[in-house]
Amino acid sequence: MFFDLLPHLLNGLTLGLLFALVALGFMLIVGLMEQINLAHGSLFALGAYFALVIVGGENSFGHLLGPAWHSIPLGLRYTTALVVAPIAVAVVGMGVELLMRRTYGKDPLFGLLLTFGAAMVLEEAIRGLWGTRDYVLQTPSAVSGGFIFQDLIWSTYRFYAAGIAAAAIGLVWLLIEKTPYGAVIKAGAHDNEMVRALGINLSRLRLFVFAFGTLLAAIAGIILAPIWGIRPHMGVDAVVPAFLVIVLGGIGSFWGAVIAALLCGMLVGLAGAYASEWSLLSIYILLILVTTVRARGLFGKKSLLEA
Amino acid sequence: MSKFKTSRRGLLKGSASIAALAGTAAFFGPWRHTHVYAQGQKKPVKIGFTCDASGQYGNSGQDDLRGARLAIDEFNAKGGVLGRKIEWITADTETTPATGSRVAERFITREDCGFLIGAVHSGVANAITQVAAKYGTIYLNTNSSAPSEAGENCSRVKFVWDGNGTNFAKATVKNAVQSVGKNWLLLTNDYVWGHTTSNATKALVESNGGKVVDNLLVPQNTRDFTAYLLKVQQSKPDVVATAIGGDDIKALRTQVAQLKLEGKPAWINNQQDWPDIWGAPESLFGVFGTTWYHKLQLPGVEQFLKRWQASYKDGPIPVPGNVSYNGYMATKELLRAIERAGSTNNIAVIKQLEGLKVSATDRMQHYDAFMDPVTHQMQQTIYLARRNPKPADNSDYYEIVSWSEPKSVIDDAAAAKCKLVAYDQVPTFEL
Repeated sequence: MFFDLLPHLLNGLTLGLLFALVALGFMLIVGLMEQINLAHGSLFALGAYFALVIVGGENSFGHLLGPAWHSIPLGLRYTTALVVAPIAVAVVGMGVELLMRRTYGKDPLFGLLLTFGAAMVLEEAIRGLWGTRDYVLQTPSAVSGGFIFQDLIWSTYRFYAAGIAAAAIGLVWLLIEKTPYGAVIKAGAHDNEMVRALGINLSRLRLFVFAFGTLLAAIAGIILAPIWGIRPHMGVDAVVPAFLVIVLGGIGSFWGAVIAALLCGMLVGLAGAYASEWSLLSIYILLILVTTVRARGLFGKKSLLEA
Repeated sequence: MSKFKTSRRGLLKGSASIAALAGTAAFFGPWRHTHVYAQGQKKPVKIGFTCDASGQYGNSGQDDLRGARLAIDEFNAKGGVLGRKIEWITADTETTPATGSRVAERFITREDCGFLIGAVHSGVANAITQVAAKYGTIYLNTNSSAPSEAGENCSRVKFVWDGNGTNFAKATVKNAVQSVGKNWLLLTNDYVWGHTTSNATKALVESNGGKVVDNLLVPQNTRDFTAYLLKVQQSKPDVVATAIGGDDIKALRTQVAQLKLEGKPAWINNQQDWPDIWGAPESLFGVFGTTWYHKLQLPGVEQFLKRWQASYKDGPIPVPGNVSYNGYMATKELLRAIERAGSTNNIAVIKQLEGLKVSATDRMQHYDAFMDPVTHQMQQTIYLARRNPKPADNSDYYEIVSWSEPKSVIDDAAAAKCKLVAYDQVPTFEL
């Protein structure tokens, strides 16, 4: 029995890490800037498309960057894509943040509407530039294919993706909790007037946080692309679980989001194996149960609204 | 990161507002109209295309539309139908039954559409049927292949043009049970088409001496199939039969290919739609059904291909597939039926369609086809295909391995389930 269950627990764990990766950038921007970035999904998709251009290959964009570039090994092109594409998306994210500045301090609905509009513009731009067809992002042979464990074939790429997710979670935690930059960022979220009074450029700080959040969205897009496929509306597949994870974990709570993502992954993985028709629904049921008992999510801090 | 000012209530309310806005925006626009002004005083014949442009079947919905538009363009180039030009309107039905109902209602009551065409998702098709039946509007279900569409959900006003899950299963199951193995596992998209198709497969497997060891229901919009693929491996079936469609089957194919599971067990994919194949041919595996392929060596295929390509030079897919073909054929036969009826009277056109027989040449298929007057489903040649190991060019994805006569793959159970209302119970109109 346990040996039948073990693969599904392991699968749930890796899926949970992938959910966490998808939610990380979204959580950072909500938690530190109090802005819900509905363009998160489109930026996630943009990361995958930019990576596709850099990696190239058959059935994508041929040799858009020139035959010399595409003659170099796939591993190098893929690694370049993993570094360059998120930076390019972060630049786009900076543009969105500059547009958002007029909404700060106002009704959150303005920010929602703006990022919703940005999401639509980005998705249509993707359709315009790359069309509506699907693409497959090539991955180096070292992380492709499968391996046998417990008489079952496992995807090598899935464990690589989970490893990247775990590394991203660790790096974001280090940045927020263990560096002076993180301290300033947190202080800016707590009391922006005091931060300004100390001579810190808060506008630049927000620009940095937003860019970093979109950079994480793009990394998630590149990592998930070989599993989910690349298509213009792939962002919708990302923004819904990201939103669910941060509400379930408690808005503003880093570890809340990570634990919520792992819980969701476990639940989807186990339900997929033993009650398959409930696999997607199970996480929404969990959300309803948790928010009914604890409205602020698993690890959200108590707010005045709950008094 | 511990303190935040965004209230959860505000956040949820805001998000709900955005979602509502998104849904509303999709319904109210953008709408696409074409106006081809008739010469003289004759009123144009107006057709409403209920095609998905977003959601699970967004790509297929638009491919369906491309085929149907070509048929209209060809008729308009010859002067229209009954000397009247043909106009059309379309709106995104969003792969959502509720949106399909609203769009259909609007097309009939506000846009004066006498005919509705288009569907890929069986839930959407059924929702549109309910509205069409209320007004007596003829509705062509071009691409939804749930057996229930010509069974328990059939209608006097609806005509179904695609092969259904039972047709495809009949073309494959008997041979596969005998030659591959008796233990089958079903992977089923958890909605009408998936359920009815897998039910048909299960019945055929069991009647041929096989056994279904498990049926895993897959929720729509599933992107991660790892749990299912682990379960498939643990169950060790001889054959996995899938009834998974749209973006879901694309994700499944990619993940099966990554694991190199495409060889063992054997995979039978009930039907593959061309827009779901285009863009990811490298992940194509197993045996699957289709109703048409652009490289069939048959009269008319090449000419049709050229006309289609001339119309959609910058389209997302460079060649037509089964979905566009079904849209084209359905629209063409509707317009021919109007001509034969000499009227747009709905009952007269229904009777023409019920007696429809189409030669193999006209169908660009191997066998003559006919509209079953009892179930309103087009009975046609069913092809089995697999990935082409030696493609002639970069669109030559399929190798057609066999084709079955319509009568040999007919859905025998449909006639007993389909109860068409009498003609005098259908609201009559003439536009």
